[in-house]
Amino acid sequence: MRRRSRRRGIVATHEVVAMSSSESQDESRALELSRQCVASKLPFQALPGDDDDLVETGLLDSMGWVDVLIGIESATDIRDFGNTWPEGRAKSIRALADMIREARRRVSEEKPGEGPAAGAQGGSQVSIGAWGYALGAVTVSADQIESECDVPPHKIRNGAGIRTLQVAAATEDELTLGQRAADAALEMAEMPAERIDFLVATSTTFLNLPSFAPSLHSRLLLRETGGALDVGGACVGLIYSLAVAKGLLRMATQGVALVVASEVHSRRLNAPRVPGEFRGLFGDGACAFVLTRATDRGGHAAVRLGDFVWGCSATFASSLSAKWGENSRLTVQFKGEQLAHAAVTQMDRILEILENKSRRARTEVDYFAFHQPNPRVVEILAEKANIPLERIPLPSATGGNLGSATCGISLCQALTDLRTRPNPSQPPLIFMAAVGPGLIWGGAFLD
Amino acid sequence: MVRFIPAPTSASPPHLEDQNTHGLLSGGGCAGEVELVDMLHKAEVSADLEKLFGCELHTDTHGGNAWVDPGSATRSICGCQFKNIRFRVFQDAGEVTLRARLVLQSGETLNSLPVVDREWRRFLSDLIHRSSESGVSLAPEGFLNRLIWGKVMPAPYCFARIGLARGKQMEGKCWLMLDSLFPQPNAGWLSGP
Repeated sequence: MRRRSRRRGIVATHEVVAMSSSESQDESRALELSRQCVASKLPFQALPGDDDDLVETGLLDSMGWVDVLIGIESATDIRDFGNTWPEGRAKSIRALADMIREARRRVSEEKPGEGPAAGAQGGSQVSIGAWGYALGAVTVSADQIESECDVPPHKIRNGAGIRTLQVAAATEDELTLGQRAADAALEMAEMPAERIDFLVATSTTFLNLPSFAPSLHSRLLLRETGGALDVGGACVGLIYSLAVAKGLLRMATQGVALVVASEVHSRRLNAPRVPGEFRGLFGDGACAFVLTRATDRGGHAAVRLGDFVWGCSATFASSLSAKWGENSRLTVQFKGEQLAHAAVTQMDRILEILENKSRRARTEVDYFAFHQPNPRVVEILAEKANIPLERIPLPSATGGNLGSATCGISLCQALTDLRTRPNPSQPPLIFMAAVGPGLIWGGAFLD
Repeated sequence: MVRFIPAPTSASPPHLEDQNTHGLLSGGGCAGEVELVDMLHKAEVSADLEKLFGCELHTDTHGGNAWVDPGSATRSICGCQFKNIRFRVFQDAGEVTLRARLVLQSGETLNSLPVVDREWRRFLSDLIHRSSESGVSLAPEGFLNRLIWGKVMPAPYCFARIGLARGKQMEGKCWLMLDSLFPQPNAGWLSGP
C-alpha cells in the first residue's frame, strides 16, 4: 500500500512539475515578448522593471503605449490586443504578458474541435456567406463594338448574342474592380476586413509585379498576418480559387477566406494582332466571395461549397492560344467554332460528373453558374444539356465574356435571387462549370 | 484667408520649412475645401513612400508606424492621394487615440499613423460623446470604417498630408503622423446613413 501511494505520489509530483514547467515557459515567453516590444520604444534607456507602470512613470506617452499594443498585436496576431485596457490595471510589462496569456487561453477555449485534426477528418463545412461584384463603368453597344473591331454587322449582337459590353473607365483597373467587389461582399457579410484570414485571387489580365493577390491584399488593407495567394486557370480561375480556399480553410485553424476574380480585357486585348471577332467578345468585371468554415449557416450564409471536379484535355488546346512576343505584342490564335464546340461538349460532361458527385439530377438544380464565352454558346449548351435557360443567369449578354469573373458573377446573381425567395423549402442547389484555354475545365456543386 | 510675414526659425532638420509668422492680418475671403486641396496638390506631393520625405522609411515592428532618419529626410511634410483608408480607435480610461492605415497610389501602405488632424480628432470625440449621451453602445471603429469610410472614399479627392513629428530627433527617429485628412469630416455624418 505504502509503495503504491508513494508511486502515485511520484507520478502526481511529475505531473505537477510538467504543468508548472509548461506554464512557466508560457509566462517567460510572454514576458520576453512584452519586454522586446517595450524596448523597441525605449531605444536609449534601460529596460524598466517588469512591474513599473510605463505610462505613470513617464517612460511612455499615450502614443508610445499604443505603439507597444500594436507591436504585440502584430507579433501574436491577437486582434485588438489591449484595446480597451482594463481600468485600474497597471500598464506594465508583466501586465502585458499576463494579457497575452489570458488572450491565448481564451482563443484555445473558444475553438474546441476545430483546427487541423477536425479539418482533415472533413468535420468542417465551408460555406459562401456573402458575395459581391463590379462591372466596368463604361457601356459599349454591340454596334459600336462591331464598328471598332471591324467585324461584319450583327456578328456580335446576333452571332454572339452580346447586346453590350461593360469596359473599365480610365480610372478603373483590376484592383479597383476587385476592391469594389470585395467591399460589397464584406459589407454584406457585415465583417471588417481585419477578419479575413487569407485572400485567394485570380486574374488573367493583371500582369504586374507585385502580382494580383498581394496588390489587392494591400489595397484592401487586410491584416499583415493574412495570406495572399494567386491562382491561375484563366476562365476556370474562380472555380479553382474556391477549391483552394475551401481546402485551406479545412486544413488551417483560421476561419475566413476572401476569394476574388478580376479581369480587365479591354486593355490587354486592345492590340493590332488580336482578331476583332475575338476582342469584341470581352468585357471587364470582378466578383468576390466571403467563405467561412462554419456548420451554422446563420446570418447571410447561403450555400455550402460541395465537391469540385476538374481536368485538362489537351486535344483542343490549339483552339485558343495567346503569346506575348517582341515589343509586348500579343498574338492570339482563335478557332471560334472549334472552341465553342469543345466548350459545350466539356461543360455538358461536367454536368454529368456533378450529377454523380452530388447524387442529384440536373432537373433539381435551381441555378447553373456557367463560364460564358458568349450567350449564344450558353444557349447551345442549354439545349444540348436539356436545361432551362431561365435557370442560367447571363451576365455575358450585357457585360461580355468576363473571363474568370463570368461564372462568379453568374453565381452572385443566382445567390441574390435565391435570397429573395420566401421560405425556401430546402437548401438551394447550384451547379458551376467553366472551361479555359488548354483545355482546362472545372466544376462544383453548392447546396 | 490671412496675410503674414514669415521669418526663419532655428528649426533643426528636417523641419526646415518651418517659419515663424508675424503680423497676422485677415486677408478677406476664405478658401473652400476643394480649393484648399487643389492648392495642396501644387505643393509637395508623392505617389510612393520613398518620395514622401526623400529617404527610406523604417519600421520597428510589423504593422507599426514608420519613422525616418532626421538627417536623411529632405522635408518634413508631404501630401499624397490614398486609395483606401482604415481607422483604428484605441480607448483607454477617457483617453482616445485615433490611428489610420493608408494605401498610397503606388500600392504601398502606411500603417498605424497617429491622426493629429484637429477636425478628425474632434469628430471622433463628438462621436464618442454622442454615443455615451444617447446610451446607445456604438463601436467607434466600426462606425468610422463603414459609414464614414463610405463618405470619404467616394469623394472626388482622397488626399492626406503626412508630417514628421518632432521630439524624437535625439533618438535618431522622426515618426510619421497624419497631419491632415481630406475630405474633412462633416458633423452631419454623425447622424448615420
